[in-house]
Amino acid sequence: MTRWFTGLTFAGWIAISLAASAQTGSRPWWAPGEATPLADFATYQNDRGSVGVLNTSGRLDTKGHPFFEPIGTNGRACVTCHQPADGMSLSVRTVRERWEATAGKDPLFASVDGMNCPHLPPGDPRSYTLLLERGLIRVALPWPPRNPDGTRIDPEFAVEVVRDPGGCNTHPTYGLESANPTISVYRRPRPAANTKYTTHQNFGVGPFIAKSGLPTATDPDTGRPTSMNLMSDARVPTLAVQAQDAAEQHLQLTGRLTAAQLAGIVQFEQQVYVAQVSSTAAGSLVEADGPPAFGPRQLASGDAGVLGNNTTRFVFPMGGKWNRLPRTGSESENARNAARESIARGHDVFMFRTFWIRDSMHLNTVGLGNPTKRTCATCHGMHMTGLDTVNGWMDIGTTNLPWASEVPLNPWNEAKPQMPLFRVTCKPDVKPHPYLGRVIYTQDPGRALISGRCNDVGTIVMQQFRGLSARAPYFSNGSAATLRELVDFYDRRYNIGYSDQEKQDLVNFLGAL
Amino acid sequence: MVMRRATRGSALLAVWLVSVSVVGAQQPTNFVSCPIVRDTASVPCWLAEYNGELYFLTLQTDVSAPVNPPSLGHRVLVEGTVSTEPRICGGVVLNPVHLSVLERDASCNTMLPAEERYNLTFEPPRPPGPSKGRLAFDNAAPAAPPAPAATGSTREFVVSYPFDGLIGFTHAGALTAILNFARTASAREIEIVGHRGAVRLSNGQTMVEESNIGKKRAEQIAMLLQGANLKGPSYKVSWREEAAAADGVDDHLSRRVVVTVRR
Repeated sequence: MTRWFTGLTFAGWIAISLAASAQTGSRPWWAPGEATPLADFATYQNDRGSVGVLNTSGRLDTKGHPFFEPIGTNGRACVTCHQPADGMSLSVRTVRERWEATAGKDPLFASVDGMNCPHLPPGDPRSYTLLLERGLIRVALPWPPRNPDGTRIDPEFAVEVVRDPGGCNTHPTYGLESANPTISVYRRPRPAANTKYTTHQNFGVGPFIAKSGLPTATDPDTGRPTSMNLMSDARVPTLAVQAQDAAEQHLQLTGRLTAAQLAGIVQFEQQVYVAQVSSTAAGSLVEADGPPAFGPRQLASGDAGVLGNNTTRFVFPMGGKWNRLPRTGSESENARNAARESIARGHDVFMFRTFWIRDSMHLNTVGLGNPTKRTCATCHGMHMTGLDTVNGWMDIGTTNLPWASEVPLNPWNEAKPQMPLFRVTCKPDVKPHPYLGRVIYTQDPGRALISGRCNDVGTIVMQQFRGLSARAPYFSNGSAATLRELVDFYDRRYNIGYSDQEKQDLVNFLGAL
Repeated sequence: MVMRRATRGSALLAVWLVSVSVVGAQQPTNFVSCPIVRDTASVPCWLAEYNGELYFLTLQTDVSAPVNPPSLGHRVLVEGTVSTEPRICGGVVLNPVHLSVLERDASCNTMLPAEERYNLTFEPPRPPGPSKGRLAFDNAAPAAPPAPAATGSTREFVVSYPFDGLIGFTHAGALTAILNFARTASAREIEIVGHRGAVRLSNGQTMVEESNIGKKRAEQIAMLLQGANLKGPSYKVSWREEAAAADGVDDHLSRRVVVTVRR
């Protein structure tokens, strides 16, 4: 095993990638500026079936469209990291395929954030391990944080770099001690689709954050409170602000987007819906009499910002369609029906299987008690997406130790940690974190890098559950390579004790969304 | 009363949720202890031991609950009144009760398994999983302040706190009410007075909130209202450093900020 990959060798993942491609056929890479029209409805194969991309405004001519054109200086477009075939996100498999196809010269691998740090040698895969292994993009954030008006926030904690494999956080130009103190964290691109759910103005959105009582971020154009569910750290309030931020940070645009560009990007993101439409085992997910949760058309017509953790609306309404299906058909029909029943059982695990949720910031602190006996749908409660209806950052342990995935260090393992590690120390005049105390070790302080608050350390805005099969790996830091690893994380974190059958059913259900 | 719709389930539940006046004559029971969570066949119960007796504090319900369960890993300040209601989950019912999560204490870690004899004898306001389409209690903003006192062009709001507490999730509704009134009334002045509370425990000791808490509370509310873009009115911020006198009865009312909005 080479020293610079935590899990797979370079050759190993190439082999796996090629094998996967052979199984499902090659999937199209959408290159910036290629001017291919986007159909009103397109499907793309993935390992679990196919994902559907619905463009509710009909066929789109992408020539000259600001989402699809390289409008910055590094050759990237929005579509670079929001690929239709990847559910408008970016899978690590696609990243690896692009590396192979272009010898690492695709604009995706721009040094600004495609490399672990821009000072590393270009073209050497060891400079891109976080992108190649986990699909992570570098996000450079100023420290201390700033208010939207640019004023400095006095943070409640001090932050130190404990481990810096990429070298960025300790670098004299890019690091925490540089002239412009900066913290680099590494995160997955979120889907640029189904955005009426991530930007809703419905249940739980008000002038004060429902989980903390602090002021809600407002839309700079309208002054209205926002749901703050758009990004993993809620650092931008609207699609327009996100587009400008991403154009500057990721496309290296030297200036402002024009009004027409901004409008074009936002409008497109508001009309695109993504969900899995077929399953290799369960067949079509979008038959007319099938469960009403599935497919992008149901998402497009669904109600946004509605609480679904109930038995009237449901998070993902199944309508009881696949609970008991006959075994009187052909062998393939019987197998299909068995797979559909597994998906239905997985839904019931998601919705009704209780477990003890403990020491999770912004869940156990919001009136349910610590621990609370609840289900997956407690947190993932928004109808049709599994988002949180209110401002959805929580700490479930994906980035904070002791729960975050870490490389086991021992004399027999040559793998080295790839993720940075920070030590956060809450200041003496601030109450310690209620569950983690005054000193917290984290791979990514999450929302706390924006708010400066101790209680936000390691909190990440949960993300939608749609199109999951198209965009592995999972969690903001890509620490779950597969849906099974995702389920295993929860099982470990909350000592749930899922049976193998429950895990498989849950995986099948999530993979069908 | 916030519990009105929750009384559908059973008469016993209605008794648990009945108004303060029924049990007002009972002895206050104020103490600091480790909370205990007991599983049941439905939702867990929250309990605490004091002087050899087990007390029932509350049930797990949802964010609309007037009383929020405490936290393992922390001690809890219990300010309650012993009720004449039948025991719940084996505990003497405290009603009303006010709970404050205190400092971290790793020894507070007792989870009791479900036992048939302690299962609830009524339908809880909310099951442990999905609801039936409504919150457990009518009042979606459980910590909303008492109805504001209006005097001509002036309205007074009282924001209540747990012991040593600052703004938290229960306060979004209260802050929104102040903000909405101030905007609607085109307020010219907002006066904010922070208070420091104390509580007389049943063992005769008095717990006083940390120094400066009145200042912190008052300044935080001013900051939050301004942060919500309420920048038109002038702000007059003050606080009482001396702690309120404590007598063991309704001491929780001393932990407050009074916000007066003047047009």
